[in-house]
Amino acid sequence: MTTTLAIRGVTKQFGHGATSVEAVRGVGLSVESGEVLLIMGPSGSGKSTLLSIMGALLRPTAGTVTLNGVAISQLPERDLPPVRLREFGFVFQDFNLLAALSALENVALVAELTGTARAEALRRAGELLTELGLAERVAFLPDQLSGGEKQRVAIARALINDPSVILADEPTANLDSSNGHEIMRTLRAVAKERGRSVVIVSHDQRIRDIADRVVWLEDGQLRDLMTMAVDPVCGMSVEHDRAVTLEQGGELRFFCSRGCRAEFLGELDGPAETRPARTGPLASLFQAVRPKTP
Amino acid sequence: MLAWRNLSRDPIRLLLSVAGVAVSIVLILLLVGYRSGIYAQASAYLDHASGSALVAERGVADFFGTTSTLEPRVVEQVASLPGVAAAVPIVTQFVVFEEHGRKDGMFLVGYDPEKGGGPWRLAAGREPATDEEIVLDGVAAGQHGIGLGDRIRILDRDLAVVGLSEDTTFWSGSMAFARIGALETLLRAPGLRSFLLVTPTPGASLPSLTTAVSSLGADLVPKSTLIANDRRLLARVYDAPIGLMVAIAFVIGILVVGLVIYTSTVERRREYGALKAIGAGNRALYRVVATQALIAALLGAGSGAVLAVVGERALMAWRPQFRVEIDAATVAVVLASSLLMAAIASLVPARALAGLEPAEVLRS
Repeated sequence: MTTTLAIRGVTKQFGHGATSVEAVRGVGLSVESGEVLLIMGPSGSGKSTLLSIMGALLRPTAGTVTLNGVAISQLPERDLPPVRLREFGFVFQDFNLLAALSALENVALVAELTGTARAEALRRAGELLTELGLAERVAFLPDQLSGGEKQRVAIARALINDPSVILADEPTANLDSSNGHEIMRTLRAVAKERGRSVVIVSHDQRIRDIADRVVWLEDGQLRDLMTMAVDPVCGMSVEHDRAVTLEQGGELRFFCSRGCRAEFLGELDGPAETRPARTGPLASLFQAVRPKTP
Repeated sequence: MLAWRNLSRDPIRLLLSVAGVAVSIVLILLLVGYRSGIYAQASAYLDHASGSALVAERGVADFFGTTSTLEPRVVEQVASLPGVAAAVPIVTQFVVFEEHGRKDGMFLVGYDPEKGGGPWRLAAGREPATDEEIVLDGVAAGQHGIGLGDRIRILDRDLAVVGLSEDTTFWSGSMAFARIGALETLLRAPGLRSFLLVTPTPGASLPSLTTAVSSLGADLVPKSTLIANDRRLLARVYDAPIGLMVAIAFVIGILVVGLVIYTSTVERRREYGALKAIGAGNRALYRVVATQALIAALLGAGSGAVLAVVGERALMAWRPQFRVEIDAATVAVVLASSLLMAAIASLVPARALAGLEPAEVLRS
């Protein structure tokens, strides 16, 4: 794995003098390709500010942001839109899809912004939406989609230009538990199957299990880092402290539940679930997250 | 595509904006057309009269605004000047005509039916055969309830209406035509001649002719100069108020489009912010806003142009004395000005977009 995005000594101060506020203070962090990094913290801790700085939406007051070896925090403002367009994919809390455009057009538009011909943009958008399980919804306007579907369209939009880094701001905040988990698994699949770095800002404790690494931000500073391990059965990330463990042959393994450990040990029997065959880079994801038909 | 979708998502607002621009364009076209009509009416007589220049009293440089009196020897000698093919005498006098308790301006033209200088198109009747007869403008006659064979009183004489002319209303009244002898009697000025309609011989030198006429104590003025001077006179009266009203209508159009596009932009602030965060540059967003303004302005201008042409015909049928001339060139200019309208209208929304911070979209 290689470091995709790195920030060093980043500080962001808003305002001047007595009324100035330091939203982020001397934060250093790096994200590897294929890694899912979850930034957690209470409201007002500076999570969104940090994400904005990482995504070149905000310029840090001090420190550097390096993307694939290029110090993007030093680039002039006029050079930043192409960086955002091609190197970052954004997923927002409230989706921010264009209400007047269909799901397909919302995704294709971002490709068109890079100069891709409309027909090609629509073709790629259609493929992505199909991979994300929205083949039947491509012509729908955002108003006609559920929250989970909207967020999947937003993920397709974030992916269409094949960026190095996906930045997601509270992507599950407006979703119910089931849809929230589905979106997080999708993001994880993006990281693992496409080798993209995924940075998620959230205060939703339920989604910790999909991250490779969780960092805690409080008062603009990083606190203790939690190390995550991958459950070898279901692929979920689990905190070392909270995982069900198994020491075998001198190696310590971490599981999300006793059930997974039992399955690993071959203690569970029964036929494997029959699932429809899928194609595409995210196909394996939908074998896992698609609701079962009764 | 995004621009059109944004607009068409709210059809009522789009309709209102198109209607607002259309009303503004109708007003602009009717006002400009009315001004053109006034100018066309003012030059109608000279446009149709014979010759390319007029001999006028020295110092007289317009046709409608002043009174010209030529000395009899000038009238006699001009006709025999080398380079003059024809010199048709006319007498002109502006009078106030009153009939059925209603007063109107009347520009009387005395002419010799044998030589020309009279009405160029008759809607009914014939030209005057005696000094007791007159041809009235058909519209003015209709307004006064006067028909062929009726007798009307002008100054202190009764004249029989024997013809009704067309296309002879103008900005301050209408034209009427009688024989020269009739005007000599009415004005108690035997031998009075106001102008000579001069037709130079082919190849004649106009400067030489001007010098020759000047040596007789009069001026030879090209028709085009008289028409331009008459228009200048009218411009002093009409151009400022019409220009002001056109400017107001134009500003209203800008405000209507601007308001619609601005509210639409503000409503979609988060969407535009997201686009900025995703990597859309200001230019791409300006293009969306400007295209929206352009669509609204062009739809409004197109509908306005159609409505104005319909309005022009309706107005002239309802009030024939008002001539409104909306020509293709004027429509083209107004349609082009709607582009300017769109450009100006999109300035404020574009400014709002320029000030939009992409990071704002991450703050709920």
